[in-house]
Amino acid sequence: MAESTSPRGTDDAGRSVIHDLGYRPYTGPRLGSTAIARSLVLTGFRNAFGLGRSGRSKVLPFLLLGLNLLPALIVAGIMAFVGLDRLPIGYAQYASTTQVLLGVFVASQAPVLFSRDLRHGTIALYLARPLPSAAYAVARWLSLLLATLVFLVLPVVILYAAALLTELDVSDQTREAGVALGLAVLLALSLAGVGGIIASWSTRRGFAVVATIAFLVIANGVVTAVQGIADGEGSTRVAEVAGLFSPYSLYRGLMGAWTDADTLAPPTGAGMVAAYVVVLVGLSAACVGALVARYRREASA
Amino acid sequence: MEPVVRTERLTKDYGAVLALDALTLDIGPGTTGLVGANGAGKSTFLKILLGLVPATGGRAEVLGHDVATEGAQVRAAVGYLPEHDCLPPDVSASDFVVHLGMMSGLPRVAARERAAEVLRHVGLAEERYRPMGGYSTGMKQKAKLAQALVHDPRLVLLDEPTNGLDPAARDEMLGLVRRIGHDFGIAVIVTSHLLGELERVSDHVVVLDGGTLLRASRTDEFLDATGALLVEVLGDDAQTRMADALAAAGVPVVRRGSLLSVDAADRGPRDVRDVVRDTAAELGLGLVRMQADHRHLEDVFADPSDAAVHDEPGVPRG
Ligand SMILES: Nc1ncnc2c1ncn2[C@@H]1O[C@H](COP(=O)(O)OP(=O)(O)OP(=O)(O)O)[C@@H](O)[C@H]1O
Ligand SMILES: [Mg+2]
Repeated sequence: MAESTSPRGTDDAGRSVIHDLGYRPYTGPRLGSTAIARSLVLTGFRNAFGLGRSGRSKVLPFLLLGLNLLPALIVAGIMAFVGLDRLPIGYAQYASTTQVLLGVFVASQAPVLFSRDLRHGTIALYLARPLPSAAYAVARWLSLLLATLVFLVLPVVILYAAALLTELDVSDQTREAGVALGLAVLLALSLAGVGGIIASWSTRRGFAVVATIAFLVIANGVVTAVQGIADGEGSTRVAEVAGLFSPYSLYRGLMGAWTDADTLAPPTGAGMVAAYVVVLVGLSAACVGALVARYRREASA
Repeated sequence: MEPVVRTERLTKDYGAVLALDALTLDIGPGTTGLVGANGAGKSTFLKILLGLVPATGGRAEVLGHDVATEGAQVRAAVGYLPEHDCLPPDVSASDFVVHLGMMSGLPRVAARERAAEVLRHVGLAEERYRPMGGYSTGMKQKAKLAQALVHDPRLVLLDEPTNGLDPAARDEMLGLVRRIGHDFGIAVIVTSHLLGELERVSDHVVVLDGGTLLRASRTDEFLDATGALLVEVLGDDAQTRMADALAAAGVPVVRRGSLLSVDAADRGPRDVRDVVRDTAAELGLGLVRMQADHRHLEDVFADPSDAAVHDEPGVPRG
């Protein structure tokens, strides 16, 4: 075979001088799975805000983030100038008030992490690399979780800073903000799961966005209606059980149980509160499990 | 030399479809062409080697790792160019290859350097900063090749890298494949359904047909083993008369341009060379040339009844 190299070799060399700079093997370090997964999570987190992508893809996430922070900034401004003796809105209540923005953020950015690789076939290139498909699925979910947490936690931080600057009671504020952060984690876990699973089922971005928003808003709407009716007829237990059936109502219920916020039919009794937590965590675990299965299937397709 | 790939009765059935049927073979370093018609099992074979698709029987080792249990080690040391589209349109080749280099375990700085280097080698220069959605098919294939090389693998699996390319782009891609095997020192397994293009770049050729091994051997042996003679005769209507006479004598003949290709397989008491010489003399034609016909693999493949194709099933194990 050796003699057949010459015509092609000359051809290549003649076509491009630069080709003649020889190939250099790589002798440096190679990182393990943990480092690769960390890098995938961070890249995904940045991509969820449009960073490392085209200029256009930064518009929506930052617009939503800005809108989401606006009320907190206004409250902080009022606190600074007027100096109220309590925050006009509770830390945990904030997310409930801006839940539509949050839903749109998760719905619109989940496809960035879950649909794109499937739609363009890029998933084959990830799966042909050392990270197992399960680690890929979890890393993607973690990216969305982190992005959702930024969305939920930043307002709490702004409100907390405003509260401390106006010299409200530090221990009270810290406790309330802490509860709000715990609730934020629970909500983010489930939203990232739901958003991820819908986006990985539908490789069409538009459909994933609509389906996710519809799921969050419609489920919440139905639950709220049922809770209203049941509560009106005095069947509190029914109202509490109904609250188990959507992420937002679960959040609201726990907020009612753990803070002094006034909500419709919060869970009463340790058992019911525990059920709310279990369902919220279980929902996210089920979604992550489904994502892992989804990408395992993809790997062996 | 240690084989880079070793399979033992490797079998894969997708329910009703038997994609690979008890495939036993060794693939050594250098460039190996994997040839077969649509559905022969080429892509399935590569995916099993990557540890992605589980085999339903037998075993496979890549670079000394069992693909069923050490998939991660295999994938760390192997590069893969899939047959289908796999490039996100809104990302530049440069960013993309850097990212995938990191996904293969390179630190960020090293991934940047390697990406620049392999993009230069595949011949994506200025274009590498543009989103890949605007690339021609040839540029896309180069970007796919670059991501397969970025982590300096010891073996690359290239699934139909010339698919959809025009002749010029195809030649360039084949030139790259050849350079990877010869100059970069990376073992290559490259698939195609055209034997003709693989004979130019491969040291070895493996022919798959319906999931079974039709033949595996060195490319040059493959060419020699066709066992045909090229014959040139001079005279009035020489080619036609010669062809008819030889056919009448029971010797299969095919026209190759102005020459005749005569099947030289042993099929009787007399040597075919003697038959050719005598026939030319009887017809009063001048025998200008009689030499071994180094046909293209494509011809061998196109004619599975050719005795030579069946004579060496598999590579003997040392
Ligand atoms: N996921 C799958 N499910 C069921 N059958 C499959 C699957 N993948 C491949 N097959 C079948 O297995 C056989 C081998 O397919 P494979 O893709 O490996 O062939 P190939 O040689 O790569 O063909 P091509 O030249 O068309 O790429 C075909 O009959 C195909 O239909
Ligand atoms: Mg194929």
